Amino acid sequence: MMSKIALFRVRAIAKKELVEFVRDWRTIMAIIIIPLLMFPLLFILFPILLESEAAELDALELTIIVQSNDLNQSLEQAINGAGIAFELEPLGNHSALSEPGQDMERVRNLSVDAVLRIEHMNSTWNYAILHLSTSERSNEAWNRLLDALNQWEDEEVERRITNSGLDVNATLDPLRWDGDVSQSDVATSGEQAGMVLSLFIPLVLAIWTYSSALQPSIDMTAGERERGTLEALLCLPCTRLELLLGKWAAVATITGVGVVLQICGLLFAIGYLATSNFIGLPELSIAAILLLIGAILLFAIMIVALELALAMRSHSVKEAGSILAPMLLLIVFPALFTQVINLDGIESVWFAIPVVNILLALRELLMNRIIAEHIVIWAGTSLLYAGLAAYYASRQFGREDIVTSLS
Amino acid sequence: MNSLLTISDVSKSFGDLVALEGINLEIRSGEVVGLVGSNGAGKTTLLRLMAGVYLPTTGSVSLQDGQPVDTMRQSLGVVPESTGLYSRLTAWENIRYHSRMHGVSDEDSWARTSKFAQHLEILDSLGRHTKGFSRGMRQKTALLRALAHGPSILLLDEPTAGLDITSARTVRYLVQELKKEGGTIVYSTHQLSEAEQVCDRIVIVHNGEIRADGSPESLLNSTGTTSLEEAYVSLTKDAARSRQEDDEKEGRFTGWWRSFFTPKPPKVNAKEVDDDE
Repeated sequence: MMSKIALFRVRAIAKKELVEFVRDWRTIMAIIIIPLLMFPLLFILFPILLESEAAELDALELTIIVQSNDLNQSLEQAINGAGIAFELEPLGNHSALSEPGQDMERVRNLSVDAVLRIEHMNSTWNYAILHLSTSERSNEAWNRLLDALNQWEDEEVERRITNSGLDVNATLDPLRWDGDVSQSDVATSGEQAGMVLSLFIPLVLAIWTYSSALQPSIDMTAGERERGTLEALLCLPCTRLELLLGKWAAVATITGVGVVLQICGLLFAIGYLATSNFIGLPELSIAAILLLIGAILLFAIMIVALELALAMRSHSVKEAGSILAPMLLLIVFPALFTQVINLDGIESVWFAIPVVNILLALRELLMNRIIAEHIVIWAGTSLLYAGLAAYYASRQFGREDIVTSLS
Repeated sequence: MNSLLTISDVSKSFGDLVALEGINLEIRSGEVVGLVGSNGAGKTTLLRLMAGVYLPTTGSVSLQDGQPVDTMRQSLGVVPESTGLYSRLTAWENIRYHSRMHGVSDEDSWARTSKFAQHLEILDSLGRHTKGFSRGMRQKTALLRALAHGPSILLLDEPTAGLDITSARTVRYLVQELKKEGGTIVYSTHQLSEAEQVCDRIVIVHNGEIRADGSPESLLNSTGTTSLEEAYVSLTKDAARSRQEDDEKEGRFTGWWRSFFTPKPPKVNAKEVDDDE
């Protein structure tokens, strides 16, 4: 292997890989367009969809049966107020009101949306609602009935307290917050936003960095091997290291663009939500932003080198896919685990564990916490892991048998 | 004639498999050398050693000035058996990519490419993506790609395999034209007639060894035969082994797993076969 690295060859390899990538619209869709649209669709369109679904449910005209021998006027008004039409039937004998008995069939076949059974026993009321939980109409009837009954119960409680000569507010609410609750939180809205974002941005970044590098890594290594283009490439006057660097640069560029676009989509969605006061924008210092970029870069170097190495080790695209796809779990599990670690007083050793270290670093930095000891540990260990991954990749690219294929 | 490439006492093993053994060969300037042998003989392994893709297990492969071949690939133009074209690039982009890797300017590369493309009648197709190319077009493009940087040695691995008669003839014509210009070519084939037509010198490779090396006439004289086919048969009487260089060493578990899901062939009752006969 030649020791000098000719940058023009590295550039030529990377450029050719990118040109080939850009010419395949399917991969562009998978790695560029979908990540760009994912968060706006999730955060903006999904709530709109949910709202329209809720409006549709509100517009439903529901019919229920009320079985009671003691229904009074206030209860009738409460049920009518919930937008439910009902027919009154006498209450039969049941061992328990929730036992469906003969009413089971008409609820199951939806000839009625629900059956409310209610009886007056001394100073209390007993009730049960028969419904079909797999039917949207029946569920809606159950929800409306519960709301109506709860409201009626509140009014009944107030009436009884008043009849006893007590003050309703003082009896029901003897302990009260004074002033604005949000005013008492000394964290700024930017810090609060950073806290919220730190719970999912590291997860998204880690998973997306891995998954967007997956397809190009396989295509540029096992794919070349399978298509027979690698042999011609190995006959050229480029070193295996130049080959690795060129391909790494191409995969890193594609991954970087994919991740940046996804973050843009996410920020756009957050910006949209920020206008509705759902979440604010995080306050980050320049140092935190630079460290964030550095952490992501180190993570990307490690992940892309590792994926390229494992894909190059594989003899076919199928083999590479069956090795690399399940390995996503090695990112997902630490990422999920990292979300629940308490950052206050965290032991420094966590910042030395592969994958976990970068994810914790991202969490801390998104909360604008710059702790020198943690930075030294995660940066040092990440450099080490990235170096080991790059060394492993160079070993795989240096293998003599990479020219052969199982296809 | 100057020796451009020297292979000295080379052997090549892949684990326990010995693909080549005791290979000594000199490629001299201006000659067309045919590597002839059956599938699995070791031709591709030998070409990959010449191209520096493989390193010899023992011995050495060196160029004119004694430099190991893997450090001097600028001197080589290689057309592997698979052609190795990128389907999402045009023919010219494929050629230009390899030329750039050799450090040759696009202008110089185009000048050489257009000259040979006219010979091969492919000039008008250079702007097309290679995805829809026929085997012949792919082979011609791969040839142009190998020639674009002006190599001193051209290594061709079965360049007419799978080609129709006209395309194979065009490829042979180009090789002969290059020979007239003083080019040095190593031409691997399993067709004796083709080697006889194109090559000055024939090297017969069989089961990882060189069985004969010389001009067609000298091969006939040394074997006492009247045709090259007879000479080849007399030199390769022992059974040919199967192709080895692409064999993968599979793990014990992988082998067991595969055999577990592989049905055994139906048993033939020897008595029934005898009765049928």
